[in-house]
Amino acid sequence: MWRNVAVIGCGQTKHGRRRDVSLAEMVEDAAWKAMEDAQLTPNEIDAIVVGNMQGFGGVAHPDCWVGDWIGAPGKPVMRVATGGTTGGSVGQAAIYAVASGMYDKVLAVAWEKHSDSKEPGATTGLLHVALGNLAHALNYGLSLKHLIVTQAVGAAAGVALYQARFYMHRSGCRIEHLDMVAAKSRRNAAKNKYAHLRWPGCTPEDIAKTEMIAYPFRFGHICPASDGASAIVVAAEDIAKRREKPVAWVKGLAAYSDEENQLMSESYGGVGVLDASEQMGCRVSAMKAYKMAGIEDPKREIDVAEIYQPFPSQELIFAERLGLFEEGKAWIALEEGEMEIDGRMPTDPSGGVLSTNAIGSSALQRILEAALQVMGKAEEHQVPKEVRNAVAHGWGGVTNYITVTVLGDSPR
Amino acid sequence: MPYIKEERPETLSVEGEWNIGATTWKANRLLEEFVKGLKQKKLIGSLCLGCGKVIVPPRNICGRCHRRMEGRVVVSDKGTITCFTYTPPAARGKYKVMGIDPVEMGVVQEGEVLVPVFVRFDGSDSNMSLPLIGVDPKEVYIGMRVRVVWAEEPKGELSDIVGVEPIK
Repeated sequence: MWRNVAVIGCGQTKHGRRRDVSLAEMVEDAAWKAMEDAQLTPNEIDAIVVGNMQGFGGVAHPDCWVGDWIGAPGKPVMRVATGGTTGGSVGQAAIYAVASGMYDKVLAVAWEKHSDSKEPGATTGLLHVALGNLAHALNYGLSLKHLIVTQAVGAAAGVALYQARFYMHRSGCRIEHLDMVAAKSRRNAAKNKYAHLRWPGCTPEDIAKTEMIAYPFRFGHICPASDGASAIVVAAEDIAKRREKPVAWVKGLAAYSDEENQLMSESYGGVGVLDASEQMGCRVSAMKAYKMAGIEDPKREIDVAEIYQPFPSQELIFAERLGLFEEGKAWIALEEGEMEIDGRMPTDPSGGVLSTNAIGSSALQRILEAALQVMGKAEEHQVPKEVRNAVAHGWGGVTNYITVTVLGDSPR
Repeated sequence: MPYIKEERPETLSVEGEWNIGATTWKANRLLEEFVKGLKQKKLIGSLCLGCGKVIVPPRNICGRCHRRMEGRVVVSDKGTITCFTYTPPAARGKYKVMGIDPVEMGVVQEGEVLVPVFVRFDGSDSNMSLPLIGVDPKEVYIGMRVRVVWAEEPKGELSDIVGVEPIK
């Protein structure tokens, strides 16, 4: 049994290339906005969970730097880092802390500051993640060309394009559908004042004109490397119920590590999942989280989804894995406009990770955006219907971690 | 919030470098077994005695049974393409991999199209990522039968597998 928990405050920074602030100033901005939204002072916060990608932005221990800035002195601070799911894990760790009865009010903050790295894609950080594996393979005589073709086909983009190929092969989805998802994301982002790549009126044709990077991904399909931070305050039931403002209740949450899904990971080993778009971890997490939330038919009971989709194919794959569409049919629903902001099942009305990717923050932003939709505070990108339940998803690790969080307008 | 200034142009930046220095990791002997097999033009996979899965190249732990993959089997060097992608023609200055321009280094030729594929070798239950050689990307399809292109004189290292080519 766990105590009921609600998200009572949300804060995020403007995303983009933030050369105007230092890392600590940027993180502070989000943390204070969340505390202001929750009507709490730093002294009233019991504990803090923080997180970003290891080594990204060239800072090994950013948690030690930002402590003072977010009101940490005198409080327990815990740093969580799980690759792309970092934000999801940070949010869930904060929820655990309250649900367990350990603390009543916990602040969760996650961020990334890519632009501090001189090389694109935060090379230092990526090497941190991959150097062990690469060094291992090189020591056993892997040629540089082989390395470039197979191992370094482009980190997450490489993995995602394999997923896309498998999905397209088995579902009949075509590259035009990826253009449609990307265009929808840019249009939605244009309504979100915090988003990075905002393009009002973007059409699939605009995306189709961009250069092919590696089949089937065009330049227009790729997420940006954003600077930004997001933060939420979660609180116990008695505190949340005293709020005059709407809150978003945590109804269910789950996470999953699918070790077979790792591509050429430890010791260059083969990947045991034959279909990279299978993503069983997402299906299993979703089933667990829905069961906790008392949701029997997600197609009917979920009103909006915030999916972690740095690449357009992932919005389709994970929407199916979250049980929102029939198997292999999400692209048909997309064609029929069901995934638009005013559609039957809006996905990523905020523009999602495809338009704003401050990696460590991205999965927390999904929880935050889902909470805003439940509270009715998403402003211009608020979906035009009653939101009873929203689902937030995260994908990351070495392609093996998944987080799923279900939020709703009433306690469990 | 007194610290945050709404609109501030580029502020003071401090230069710095962070090299990921030398580290000596403890390795396991799995790759050693694999490359020993390559010297004899054999592909060695690990067999899970729990579920019977064969993974090539071998892994230590079965991801779903959570037990050590103690068995070893030799699988065929012929297999099936389960997935593929291809790049636009390479050009100098077009992209960098880990700070290296592959064309400038002479690793990839100007205009070369790279075709990474996933191969499921016969007798295995896993995908291995390898370069496909000598095929126009337009002719590649999922389900295409391929075989390993071995180095002329295998030395017992990973580059003994040059890539895969279609079985004519």
